[in-house]
Amino acid sequence: MADGYPLFELVGIEKRFTGTYALKGIDLAFEPGEVHAIAGENGAGKSTLIKLLTGAHQPSAGGLRWEGRPVAFRGPGDALALGINAVHQEVVACPHLSVAANLYLGDERARHGFLRKRAMLHEGQRLLDRLGFAIRAEATLGDLTIGQQQLVATARAAHRGVRFLIFDEPTGYLTRQETEQLFRLIRALNADGATIVYISHRLEEIFELADRVTVLRDGRLVSTRRTAETSERELIRDMVARPIEELHYKRAVPVGEKLLETRSLSGPGFADISLTVRRGEIVGLYGLIGAGRSEFVTTLFGRHRSTGGEILWQDAPVAIRREVDAITLGMALVPESRRDQGLCLNLGVGFNLALPSYDRLGRFGLVDRGAERVLARRQIDRLNIVAPGPGIHAEALSGGNQQKIVVGKWLERGARLFIFDEPTVGVDVGTKSEIYRVFADLLDAGAGIILISSYLPEVYDLSDRLVVFRGGRTVAEHGWKTAEVETILTEAIGA
Amino acid sequence: MPEPLVAVGAPAVAARRRLRFAFLLNLTLLGLLGLMWAGLSLGTDSFATFGNFTNLLRQGSIWAIMAVGQTFVIITAGIDLSAGAVVGVAGTVVALLMKSGVPVPLAILATLGFGVAVGWVHAFGIVRMGLPPFIMTLASLTALRGIGLLMTNGQTIAGLPAEFSALARDSSFGIPNLFLAVIAVAVPCHLLLHHSRWGRHLYAVGSNREAARLSGIRVTRVLYLAYILSATLSALAGILTTARIGIGVATTGDGWELQAIASSVIGGASLFGAVGSVPGPLLGAMLLTTINNGANLLNINPFWQRIVTGGLIVAIVYLDQLRRPKR
Repeated sequence: MADGYPLFELVGIEKRFTGTYALKGIDLAFEPGEVHAIAGENGAGKSTLIKLLTGAHQPSAGGLRWEGRPVAFRGPGDALALGINAVHQEVVACPHLSVAANLYLGDERARHGFLRKRAMLHEGQRLLDRLGFAIRAEATLGDLTIGQQQLVATARAAHRGVRFLIFDEPTGYLTRQETEQLFRLIRALNADGATIVYISHRLEEIFELADRVTVLRDGRLVSTRRTAETSERELIRDMVARPIEELHYKRAVPVGEKLLETRSLSGPGFADISLTVRRGEIVGLYGLIGAGRSEFVTTLFGRHRSTGGEILWQDAPVAIRREVDAITLGMALVPESRRDQGLCLNLGVGFNLALPSYDRLGRFGLVDRGAERVLARRQIDRLNIVAPGPGIHAEALSGGNQQKIVVGKWLERGARLFIFDEPTVGVDVGTKSEIYRVFADLLDAGAGIILISSYLPEVYDLSDRLVVFRGGRTVAEHGWKTAEVETILTEAIGA
Repeated sequence: MPEPLVAVGAPAVAARRRLRFAFLLNLTLLGLLGLMWAGLSLGTDSFATFGNFTNLLRQGSIWAIMAVGQTFVIITAGIDLSAGAVVGVAGTVVALLMKSGVPVPLAILATLGFGVAVGWVHAFGIVRMGLPPFIMTLASLTALRGIGLLMTNGQTIAGLPAEFSALARDSSFGIPNLFLAVIAVAVPCHLLLHHSRWGRHLYAVGSNREAARLSGIRVTRVLYLAYILSATLSALAGILTTARIGIGVATTGDGWELQAIASSVIGGASLFGAVGSVPGPLLGAMLLTTINNGANLLNINPFWQRIVTGGLIVAIVYLDQLRRPKR
């Protein structure tokens, strides 16, 4: 053990991605043998921090120190060699192999080049038994529940003699019982001398496990406190207190007739959702990742089948079986992932802008290429999309400009209800305010907006009504700024 | 309204480079073709004869038709491995129908209908049963070969009507009919791909299926059309081949699916989807036919042409990778 030095230390760490800061000015020391929790809203910089600690990313400025000596990781291998390991929420393993094979992945027991399968099976089973996991070593990993897979991943990290173990939201998919098993394991590892970093938004877990807790917000370190000397209230305040320069664009527009109403709508990942959207208003959906908001809106849009309840469009019940039905009614979805759901990246900007509207461009199934060009030019000008021309591939544009294309294609289609799923993730401040201006323009034109955001200040400022989701259900609804930010976060976390 | 930014720098350069690549590829293919033709004309006595050249055009035409169909499927990021087998079975079907007294036009129409059915089955397996295109069409390749052999009991079907053979052997306006068939296929296909709504939707599905779906495109419908088009054009190639050789043989078209895929890829189509055109596979097919023909005339062991084709595919796809922006 190092004498007097922290085990692992970040000194003046900065991480930039194409000009925007993901982390800035982070000074943080992990003491040997402690359990250190890290909390923060989505987008606060937690995942970037883990990637720096495990060598997946390299800092743009500042340095790391291990037992007082500066270290630089060229890749995850260097971090592993020091005994730094991470257990992620999404299990990174080989689902087709056995539990034993996964435990020894990359570290197989062999003699004369031949695998000693039986030895690995026995040793693996002994390890699982010792940890108290009711898992058979010869089972196929993919046949286990996500929670059990997580336990296997933890066991794998444990048997490699780890000194610094990071848990990234490990209990998201775990049952209560599995969570208790995991906690026992964490305590056992900690008792053996391992330093634990525990990342979670579940405050009660933090208070149960951790010695100290650090709060991140907007890429900066807000506070590091002893859990014995703080309270949930204090942590929540640290998580949401906001920088003064945040100014969101909000224009009051008279609220008009009802556009959409759901009555007890249920579907994959959500249940019993009743809400209404009128012309001229923004209905914000706030919740943690996995709260069922995206599932709700994609089902509204016809991507999935609803399993119960009703959808009314302008007070008339409608059946939405596929996307075309929703589009025909006048809905538009700006999905969560531009790259995976929003854009045809290796096709032109003009092509992407015209995509939902080709049935209106030309007759007899032929495309009027002149009209196509005019359309593209109109939206490029209207949204101020920075592109050399409509023929340029969408992948060559910045994130913000890509987002404008996804909005532009629906403007062209003349939609009346816009669903924005995390519209400002990964865009810079300037583009953010342009997107807010688009919101205001849409409302002026008589459209209604459903805004999903995991960034509380954004939904808080922009939403005429704010609906809080937790575990696939709505838990609260508030008017514009009628509730405290702390209250809303508490409702979403369920603390 | 602020002046739309006529941007400088990276995107513009990338766009120009991409345009230049497609143009340069076609130009290179054309140059390569000219070079080979010139070389073969000088190097052999028999290449630049009327008989050989029309022969070359005829064989090239059949592959070109198949390659165009294949390109539609490749644009959706799929593949149709059954193309060669469809040629064999379609040739058998059309021959059997005519032998049993069905009039020639009706036999041809029925065989094209058979092609539609095969394509429908492919799309059904891929879209509804969720099979990967590679597996679905590989299974179909094996099964169709079996069906062709079963129907004929492995026998050759001879004695087809003279008017049928004339379709492939005669010329109109001094141009071989088969070459006219290519034009009759290529022009509508080009219009379909670049001037129709369906063509736009095809590229969108090949580029990002989820984005296409969320933009209101009926993805399944687009896929059905692509596979039906590919199988129907292969059936047409089968009819034309049978007319050309004058007999129905169930094993015709063995390995031609690879020629069609190679023609398409050499012509610039990307197996990752959303890239491809009609002139590309036409040039690709002519290039492969010339390699084939030239090797015969030069008395090169015919096995060499398979090796050369393989090398060509690697070279072209490698170039395709180079122009792809790295993520």
